[in-house]
Amino acid sequence: MDRVHRIDCAGRTVREINIEIRSELARGSSVAVANSGARHNLGVALLTSGRVTFDGSVGYYGAGMSDGATIVIHGSAGWGVAEGMLSGSVSVEGNAGNGAAASIRGGTVVVKGDCGARAGISMKGGLLLIGGDAGYMASFMMQKGVVVILGNAGDALADSMYEGVVYVGGEIASLGNDAVVSDASPDDMNTLSGLIRQHGLKQPRRLRKVVSGRKLWNFDHAELETWRAAL
Amino acid sequence: MNENRPLRQSPIYTPDVIEEIQEKAALGRYRIRGFGTLRSKPLPSLDDLTFLPATLTRIPLEGYREKCETKTVLGTRVAGQPLELDIPIMITGMSFGALSLNAKIALAKGAAAAGTSTTSGDGGMLPEERQYSKKMVVEVLPSRYGANVHHMRQADAIELTIGQGAKPGTGGLLLGSKISSEIAAIRDLPPGVDQRSPARHPDFLGPDDMIIKIEELREATDWKVPIFVKMGATRVFDDVKLAAKCGADVVVVDGMEGGTAASPEILQDHTGIPTLAAIPEARRALEDLGLYGKVQLIAAGGIRSGVDVAKAMALGADACYIGTAALIALNCNRPLFVDDYARLGTRPGACHHCHTGRCPVGITTQDPQLMARLPVDEAAQRVSNFLIAMALEVQMIARSCGKSNVHDLDPDDLRALTMEAAAITRIPLVGTNWVPGQP
Repeated sequence: MDRVHRIDCAGRTVREINIEIRSELARGSSVAVANSGARHNLGVALLTSGRVTFDGSVGYYGAGMSDGATIVIHGSAGWGVAEGMLSGSVSVEGNAGNGAAASIRGGTVVVKGDCGARAGISMKGGLLLIGGDAGYMASFMMQKGVVVILGNAGDALADSMYEGVVYVGGEIASLGNDAVVSDASPDDMNTLSGLIRQHGLKQPRRLRKVVSGRKLWNFDHAELETWRAAL
Repeated sequence: MNENRPLRQSPIYTPDVIEEIQEKAALGRYRIRGFGTLRSKPLPSLDDLTFLPATLTRIPLEGYREKCETKTVLGTRVAGQPLELDIPIMITGMSFGALSLNAKIALAKGAAAAGTSTTSGDGGMLPEERQYSKKMVVEVLPSRYGANVHHMRQADAIELTIGQGAKPGTGGLLLGSKISSEIAAIRDLPPGVDQRSPARHPDFLGPDDMIIKIEELREATDWKVPIFVKMGATRVFDDVKLAAKCGADVVVVDGMEGGTAASPEILQDHTGIPTLAAIPEARRALEDLGLYGKVQLIAAGGIRSGVDVAKAMALGADACYIGTAALIALNCNRPLFVDDYARLGTRPGACHHCHTGRCPVGITTQDPQLMARLPVDEAAQRVSNFLIAMALEVQMIARSCGKSNVHDLDPDDLRALTMEAAAITRIPLVGTNWVPGQP
């Protein structure tokens, strides 16, 4: 049975709270943080395994830059939740603001509600699973990894992506530059169904898959000699 | 018809302009190249200033021997561990990708030997660079290529990069010829793409968000190391005030002379303001906030010598970054492998072909054979020599002005050689007490 260490944020600085979370994780405890009060930068740079729960909402960059921890936010999150994560997981029971899972390189981010603009922007790996809708420019310049939006996607979805893969269960308001849409394959559907079930989210009737058309990957130059000479 | 009459040529449609128009007509795109501005019309520069050494009104120090402190401390405002350097000259951020592995390691070793810092660049921190750097600044850039919290926690300072002088308002550029499989893996990109980095950070936009972002970086690094904010020099007065208000320990202003490994030519030549203009604006901004001396200022962009550093410091900078000058110390544009320069359509002394990845001297390339042309230890020695020579020049100027600490250089040690420089810097024109615009 895990030892659960309780931290009450009331009257304490973010610095004190983060130091205590880290030291308790290092001792092998789980941590339950109460009265998080939508404060910014809570749970930043948690670099050990272990479980941390926030009983309430967090502000900007909640659980940012983590590596290995299992973090659950029983509330909503501000901008840049889990940004820059390397591994581990962050689960948001409510909604997330702009730039959810921005530039993560690994791990799993689950937002059970809706995401604001630019969810999954610049992702370099990992998974972002959104139970509700995603705002405009989701997956902008996404490099690698997977974004699953079970609800609707806003304008300019998947603009200028590299090797990111986006699945959408609802409507797509509009595709971004160089985004190409198709139906998800039965294999994709099987894999994703398991994932969606695992997180207790509602199965969509169908999923569409969006990838890069790769037309923006390179300058359109006729041949390399011309390119080299054009100085 | 008089055959001896000289041919007349348009001052507007010069041969250069004609060539450029016809090239765009052929290719259907803008020109991209490396190095930095090649404008034919000179920019107002630090060369437009001169020092007023000591005579009868003040006493000089012995130029070659008396003690003249060069120690430089950056980030005294908030950080628990300010960045302490032996000299006020640092190596700026240049990516592993833009530069070869050998070049990055040589810069690290050379800077360490001279007691100063190196900076990562738009491609993540290279572990070897950290290993050989005595002090290392790790950048947090809009692209976040290779971003890794563990690397940030090994840094001696964090630099939150908003933009750069060569192309403010635009992200980095690394053409496919330099995106080797190794570089692609570090940046999580497909090999061979023409990488155009984002111009905006993925998780904050304006200064209100940046306050919180800076606090996040401090939390991630336990409030120990200084947070720099680096910007291309544009609206410097307002930008520096905002960066300082957002909590930066150190502000970096990078003038339009700043170099780049690849950029659209028009941005290098027609965007941003010169370093000469950026430093006084930045100083006024910090003075306006009552933070001058508390928030340190690093000047960058076209710094070539100890004299440039001394002038930048007299104008108000606490330290300078060098980039292109350090590459030239490595061997950039040296007349070696001259045939390879010719193959690129250039020659030593005029090469700006960093973007091609075919650097004849092994600096701006990912080709192992070209890179082997830069032996690390010899190159590191040259960088170290160059940094030390620059520091000696700064000391010489400071001593001649009667200063026993290079940080005591101030605007009164300078005069402007041109009305333009006097107007820009608010330093009197030589031979007068006159500053244009002031009674």
